[in-house]
Amino acid sequence: MTGQTGPKTVGQLPNTSTSTPRAPAVFTRFVWALFVASLGALVARQLTGGSWEAPGLVVVDGLTVLLWVVVTFFSGIVHSYSRRYMAGSEHVTRFFTRLFAFTLSVMVLVAADHVALFGAAWLAMGLVMADLIGTVRGWPQAQAAAALARRYFVASSLLLGAALATLAWATGATTVSGILTAVDTVSNSILLVAAGLLLLAAMVQSALIPFHTWLLSSMTAPTPASALMHAGFVNAGGILLLRFAPVVTVDATFMLLVTVVGAASALLGKLLKAVQTDVKRKLGCSTTGQMGFMIAQAGLGFFGAAIAHLILHGFYKAYLFLSTGEQVEHTSPEKSTTGTATLVGGAVTLLTAVAGGALFALLTGKGTHLDSGLLLTGLISLTTLHATWTVVKNTDVPAAFRYGAVPLVFLPAIAVYAGVYTAVAAVLAGVPLVTAPTDLTLVHGLVAVAFLVAYVAIETGAYQRSHRLYVALVNASQPSSGTLLTATEDYNEY
Amino acid sequence: MNTDSAISESIEQAADSVGSVWPLHSFVTANPLAGFEDQPFHEAVERAEDLLGGDGYPSPDVFRRAWETGQIDSDVLAAKLDEHGYDADPETLLDRLEATADSTPDIDTAETPADRVDAVLTKWLAAFLDQGTATWSMPDREQGFYAAVRSVAPHDGAIPDGSADAWPAAPTDAIERVLADHPRDAWPAVFEHHLTALPGWTGFIKQRAADDDAWQSTYPITLAGYLAVRLTLTDLFDAQVLPADPSTDAEATDDDSVALEEVWLSAWEASYRSELVEAVADRSATAAETDEDGRPDAQFVFCIDTRSEIIRRHIETAGDYETHGYAGFFGIPMRYEGYDADVSVDACPPILDAQHRITDRPTADAGDQATYDRWSSVTEAGGKLIKSLKSNAATAFSYVESAGSGYGLALAARTLLPGRVYDAHEATDERVPDAHEFCEPSVDYNPDAVTEIREGLTLDEQVEYAATAFELMGWEQFARLVVVAGHASQTANNPFDSSLDCGACAGNPGGPNARVLATICNDEAVRAELRERGHDIPEDTVFVAGEHNTTTDEVELYDGAVPESHADDLEQLRADLETARAGAAAERADDMGAGENAGVRETERRAADWAETRPEWGLAGNAGFVVGPRELTENLDLDGRSFLHSYDWATDDDGDALEAIVTGPMVVTQWINTQYYFATVDNGVYGSGSKVTHNPVGNVGVYQGNGGDLMTGLPLQSLMAADDEPYHQPLRLSTVIHAPVERVTEILANNEAVTELLDNGWLSLTVVDPEQDHRAFHYDGELSWTDHETAATVTPTPTDEATAEATADD
Repeated sequence: MTGQTGPKTVGQLPNTSTSTPRAPAVFTRFVWALFVASLGALVARQLTGGSWEAPGLVVVDGLTVLLWVVVTFFSGIVHSYSRRYMAGSEHVTRFFTRLFAFTLSVMVLVAADHVALFGAAWLAMGLVMADLIGTVRGWPQAQAAAALARRYFVASSLLLGAALATLAWATGATTVSGILTAVDTVSNSILLVAAGLLLLAAMVQSALIPFHTWLLSSMTAPTPASALMHAGFVNAGGILLLRFAPVVTVDATFMLLVTVVGAASALLGKLLKAVQTDVKRKLGCSTTGQMGFMIAQAGLGFFGAAIAHLILHGFYKAYLFLSTGEQVEHTSPEKSTTGTATLVGGAVTLLTAVAGGALFALLTGKGTHLDSGLLLTGLISLTTLHATWTVVKNTDVPAAFRYGAVPLVFLPAIAVYAGVYTAVAAVLAGVPLVTAPTDLTLVHGLVAVAFLVAYVAIETGAYQRSHRLYVALVNASQPSSGTLLTATEDYNEY
Repeated sequence: MNTDSAISESIEQAADSVGSVWPLHSFVTANPLAGFEDQPFHEAVERAEDLLGGDGYPSPDVFRRAWETGQIDSDVLAAKLDEHGYDADPETLLDRLEATADSTPDIDTAETPADRVDAVLTKWLAAFLDQGTATWSMPDREQGFYAAVRSVAPHDGAIPDGSADAWPAAPTDAIERVLADHPRDAWPAVFEHHLTALPGWTGFIKQRAADDDAWQSTYPITLAGYLAVRLTLTDLFDAQVLPADPSTDAEATDDDSVALEEVWLSAWEASYRSELVEAVADRSATAAETDEDGRPDAQFVFCIDTRSEIIRRHIETAGDYETHGYAGFFGIPMRYEGYDADVSVDACPPILDAQHRITDRPTADAGDQATYDRWSSVTEAGGKLIKSLKSNAATAFSYVESAGSGYGLALAARTLLPGRVYDAHEATDERVPDAHEFCEPSVDYNPDAVTEIREGLTLDEQVEYAATAFELMGWEQFARLVVVAGHASQTANNPFDSSLDCGACAGNPGGPNARVLATICNDEAVRAELRERGHDIPEDTVFVAGEHNTTTDEVELYDGAVPESHADDLEQLRADLETARAGAAAERADDMGAGENAGVRETERRAADWAETRPEWGLAGNAGFVVGPRELTENLDLDGRSFLHSYDWATDDDGDALEAIVTGPMVVTQWINTQYYFATVDNGVYGSGSKVTHNPVGNVGVYQGNGGDLMTGLPLQSLMAADDEPYHQPLRLSTVIHAPVERVTEILANNEAVTELLDNGWLSLTVVDPEQDHRAFHYDGELSWTDHETAATVTPTPTDEATAEATADD
């Protein structure tokens, strides 16, 4: 007998003393330090104004420091999350090295002034992200997905390279700032070519339709890498358009094209999302839609709004990715019934919607003039209307909640958004052409109508009658077939 | 007609090769190779390897680690190797194993016609089997899988031919069309080949068709319908209908020597078993001498789950408490519907069918109920609103802008302050009453209820369930408080949460079942009947239901029905449970590598942390099952590796109780054990792979990455401390029963299914015989036994003397 030293042990499991690599802790501390430094830089720049530069190489302006803060925040969250989430993974050191390398490449990109540095950072960002998609080395499908993404990113880098070369050749400048100041001297047709190339590069990077397949095939990436991709990487398209706003805005018709390209992705992305059955692809389709909306905002001339959107969308999408494990529910096949509404409900709904739009217009100045800003304010009103209507119809909840919730919760939320938007606009002051609202045209009207039609179609479910449309959407959202794990014995992670 | 039934019978048989797969929200434990249990273990895993591509034994690497850390006893190994004619030394043999294992099959990345079939098929399977993820579901689902695919086929450019010629109206016609050129006797092989091609999805279809739940009756799918689609696609893509020549069968029969892996594995198992058996035999001898202790302050009934062993040990040291082990559904096969729940769940092992419908009914406190209702209706309305805003193309964008900042805050809080998130959950819990605080289970039989199964239990049934519990556990005296504790886990962001809940309740929390048993046992009418059957429950005994939180080791007591007279007892009990919790949590946190001082706070963090992939170890490590009184394992630290079922051979003269344990809990623990075993030896084929690349699909399962086949079984993080460091040790279950050998032999002789499992080596059985000097006997197949000490074969025959002796001893 073992005596009084406690119970005798039988069949004890051996100690699993896993050695913890140092990379996660080191990189996590480092990235949070960068976040603090970026915050400091943001404050300092706001106090002193102007921009700091190393002539010919980097320029640190409002956009730079703002995005530094944003990217180091997302990266910090992903680093901290991954320290627990990726514990025990044999890829952990490589994973953290890539996360950190990605962060640095974005930080360089938003500060780069020399065109070569800009292009190199763009390419590096893509290559590192492709590598993260293929984090699991021994898994052929992950390698196929990484290879696919790499091809897309190299293509977008070539498009960007061509655009930069064209602009540099036409202006004789080798810096982004130099190109932008010399834009007036360049002929319109050359600018249009460059703008077209820039738009294509942005579309690939932001996974806009029809370039969304790489994004929908990227779920072989560990979840936190996906979070960083959807909160950080895909934003590059919007940042590119803002950086080169003077080029992109040179032709009003081209801006219309940007709006239409963005709006098409926005609506199609949402439709693609409707037919998805797996959580991550659903989020992927949603990102395609949200990025489309962001590009459409840019097309309407509201580059500041586009930046605000990509920051807020980053919060939203990173949260949803990091919580994908929560999405499994036990459901029953019964359809839920919709409630009925009263006259009072209708009145409350309308009033709240008008108040929502008015509040937004008042706080941001968008929609107070007869220009493309009306579209954005209109969407806010529609959303408020829909939210109020949904709650008012729900007779299960107490009346006080029904009539009070939306005015009390939604209006402050709009105010917060307006606050973020104004803050972003303030930080971006000094960046060329943050807001350049365009005049309303017939095409804008059509876009507005398309959104309204989509709203009604989804509310009534009318579109669901078409088998053809359903199949087309399912097929359009399939990942590349080489990235599907149909034989589970191919998956040999360890 | 005749061919139809012949086809469906043939399909049914072929489907044996595929393990059933349950939806993730109720993770039922099952042997993934259940269909092969009629074959000896080593043949079964070999056959499964041919069909499914999964490994059947641990890798040489795992053996080497076990060998180097002393988990495999060198004497035992030497004896086993000798017995099977391997004369090289262990190191050389490991090298040899490694050399053969190194020839990894090179994976062919070129796309074959079969890959195209799989791609189209998985696309439509995911669409059809979706349970509420998509807002726009596949059309025509109510007509069945074949008809639904048939109706989308003409529009699907990925299908070479969608015309009616290629897709006849009836599924059986489609099967016959494709197989027309093939001889009838080749059909079963064809069916087996195609059913095992995507074993995740087909296993799910098999389970869904068999269980016939609400989804199945609304949107029916059959294996025949599935095969009709698959064979039609196979034909259209020109893929192989017949499996490649099964030449592998030829080499399988080359010799009848026992494979080297089998020898290593059985040596490892024997090393663990010896330690367990010797400890139990030891206690059996000493416990027989010291007997008779006074009435304990309280008694506990916990689930047989391996995790109960830890908390039981700590409770016993915290005070004068006695603990028992019993299957965690507490013997009540019920279908449970919680208050305000949309769906009901079968809270009993899948070996049984639910027979009683139990719902939570609000009773006393109307105020609590109103608070709860208000809270739940508001959160539900909020959830609906967000869903509606997110899903409408016109509102989703502004929603994201308005709500984005809130998501940002939540992102930071959940990532950087997970411990505080737990506190916030607790605080909300305090404010909002739980349903169990104002509800009672509808135990009494309600003849008027219109439900598919009967509502409640009749008095006779109540008495029967209570009596069975006491008889199986060999219960003789009752303390003032008897706690019946089910168990449940508490984790965040974990699609596999139900795999950590009670396996005996089919992956559901065990609290509701505990409440039903406690309610029954507190009933005066039941007690009167029980008294007549010899179970004299004293007046002052109160049964309290509870739930053991296996993640934080908190034991919550549902004390609504406890009278004032027992308030002091309850208070003391609570204090001691806190002490026990601290000890158990510290032990478990240490096992999880968090250090010895981490304790309760660490387990709370793990319960609430969305970034935690190993919130608790679940049943990992399980290797043994002890059936006998607690005295045999008391004061032993079994490290949470052993299932414990209370049983007293002395109160079970006719062996009925033991027979119930052998045919019920023992079989279920074997399922759990093999589930952990196979998921550990091949985590890709029999497990779900790493959580970090999981992608939940259709509310039924997970993909790895972008899609394809459904992953089945436990994820890597439930089994491995790190990618290359197993925590679970893949050992087949070692059962130890404390009873006379003859009694066990007799039971085995009467239960062929169990004997077949034992004879085929799916688990092992050792009996510690209290009538033969507490010696241990290993079951050796064919109803014969070997003495543990002398290794002599004994074939006990039940004799009159032995029986007479047994009764005389009493």
